[in-house]
Amino acid sequence: MTLTYAFFPGCTLESAAEELMISTKKVAEALGIELIELNGWTCCGASHIQDIDNFLSTSINARNIALAESLGVSKLLTVCNTCTLMLRTAKLKMDKNERLKEQVNVGLDRAGLQYKGTVEVTHLLWALLEDYGLENLKKKVTVPLKGLKVANFYGCHIVMPPDVMGFENHRNPQSMEMVAEALGAECVEFDQRLACCGFHAVFPAQKEVMTMTGINCLSPKEAGADCIVTPCPLCQMQLDAYQPDAQKRFDQDITMPIIHLPQLIGLALGISPEELAINRHVVDAIPALQRKLQLA
Amino acid sequence: MEMMTVKIKRFDGRNSYYQKYEVPYEKGKTILWLLTTIREEQDPTLNFTSACRHAICGSCAVQINGNAFLACNTPLDDVLETYKTMNLTFEPLKNFEVIKDLVIVWEPKMEKMTKVKPWIIPGEEGSKEIGFLQSEEDFQQIAAPTDCILCGVCASECNQLAVNQDGYLEPFILNKAYRYIVDTRDGAPEQHLKPVLENDLWKCLHCMQCVSQCPKTIPLTDQIAFLRSATMAMGELDNQGAKHAYAFHDDVKNKGRLNETMLPIKTDGLVQTALTKIPFALRMVKKGKINPLHMPKQISGIQEVRKLYEYAEEVKS
Repeated sequence: MTLTYAFFPGCTLESAAEELMISTKKVAEALGIELIELNGWTCCGASHIQDIDNFLSTSINARNIALAESLGVSKLLTVCNTCTLMLRTAKLKMDKNERLKEQVNVGLDRAGLQYKGTVEVTHLLWALLEDYGLENLKKKVTVPLKGLKVANFYGCHIVMPPDVMGFENHRNPQSMEMVAEALGAECVEFDQRLACCGFHAVFPAQKEVMTMTGINCLSPKEAGADCIVTPCPLCQMQLDAYQPDAQKRFDQDITMPIIHLPQLIGLALGISPEELAINRHVVDAIPALQRKLQLA
Repeated sequence: MEMMTVKIKRFDGRNSYYQKYEVPYEKGKTILWLLTTIREEQDPTLNFTSACRHAICGSCAVQINGNAFLACNTPLDDVLETYKTMNLTFEPLKNFEVIKDLVIVWEPKMEKMTKVKPWIIPGEEGSKEIGFLQSEEDFQQIAAPTDCILCGVCASECNQLAVNQDGYLEPFILNKAYRYIVDTRDGAPEQHLKPVLENDLWKCLHCMQCVSQCPKTIPLTDQIAFLRSATMAMGELDNQGAKHAYAFHDDVKNKGRLNETMLPIKTDGLVQTALTKIPFALRMVKKGKINPLHMPKQISGIQEVRKLYEYAEEVKS
């Protein structure tokens, strides 16, 4: 079985979260999933450009989706919550409003493209459940993550707003638990499972966001988690790279390793932490993983 | 008979504790039915507010299993299905002061709302004699924001308010400001907008909680984007929020993608970045997450992307 997707990496995968690019490609290869990176994709706007120009925000994402449509695939796959939200928002707006779609297409026509609405925007997490199937995933597991206690940190933009995302109930999603359990890991219950990481306002609301980061690390720590796993590189960056800054606001030790979803999957597929670039995190995740797992 | 276990957070003015009730399950009821049944059949001392039972008065919002709901228009079966449980935990709305049990205090919120002047400041186009007329299209602008019933669900779920109650405005207050700013009969939108900007408008985390939970499906986050746009149109560009947004906007126009290395400098300026972000930058460089020497190349098709920018400008004008 080979699944083929157009692939939209998003800006962080080219620098701060390059380990997500590395681990996504490794895991896709191991699972037999073909990812065709869009040639000439742009930043999705990262929840900022619509504050300046809503129509422009829709237009640049219409272009991204149109690039995928020209590849003749049925789905455009991302590994970032916010990229997924921005692309799906643009798509929903145009699919619901013929006049807007026509207007966007006037601009796209000048760029030699057309938005048709034939490609669906999905996230790796959803694709694994919807297209690949948990049973098939389980068959690929060579190193079950037995004994590893993971805290699934969803991030807002993979579930909300539900009229745009809509894959599962935003008040009680289960997709992360289903994947983690298929890999053999144990999911811990913790208060901040559906919390906001605060990344999108880390500049104007630095003080508040650092407090949130500390709470988001402490909650799974107190629940006994070995690491947080997240389907979003922005949540990962906020919780990992800013963790030393957040620590300054707390007396208790908040140390909590934060890994990307494809890294968790890769470990269960028998790929080594180095090949998954787990050594690129600010908070070293490898000792916590080594304590519980026989790593490749 | 199938039973539900309902835990309710009680507060008697001094102490707070959880009280447990066992209630027989009935199909096709509302959350408000559940609360009313407990009060009428088991515990007359339980306090909660409700009145219209039709999602109009906005008085019956509560937290259930971690989320805010309007009790009267929320089917009990939906909640049981959402959490896959027969155990429900009720708490008062978050980010409000509590008077007793599930009853919260609204006065400080209403006082806070006066900051945005929640009334029409008449423009010069109308008068007592000729009235203040609106076209249907103009009226449609205020149709969604006037759906707000001040139930407090958005405020209860707001992640910025949770850590910044004094500085930030409740989403329903932002909605109220928006409602007067876009009202064509209002002659002084900047008088509603300035206090919005001065009360941490750019601290909205874009978490989407308010818009996802609003029982009246008011597009609250689109409104926040509009409010930000409006402050920038008013010339308020010299702040972190606007500079941060423009960093993305300009990077996409110039190269197609974000330059993460330059983002802090574009947002905070060189001096502030040097003062505050050096430890962060060093740890990022050490792990290979930032390469200061790496400059993103222009994407293939950048000329076409710029045509989209030109076209968006045409559409605006």
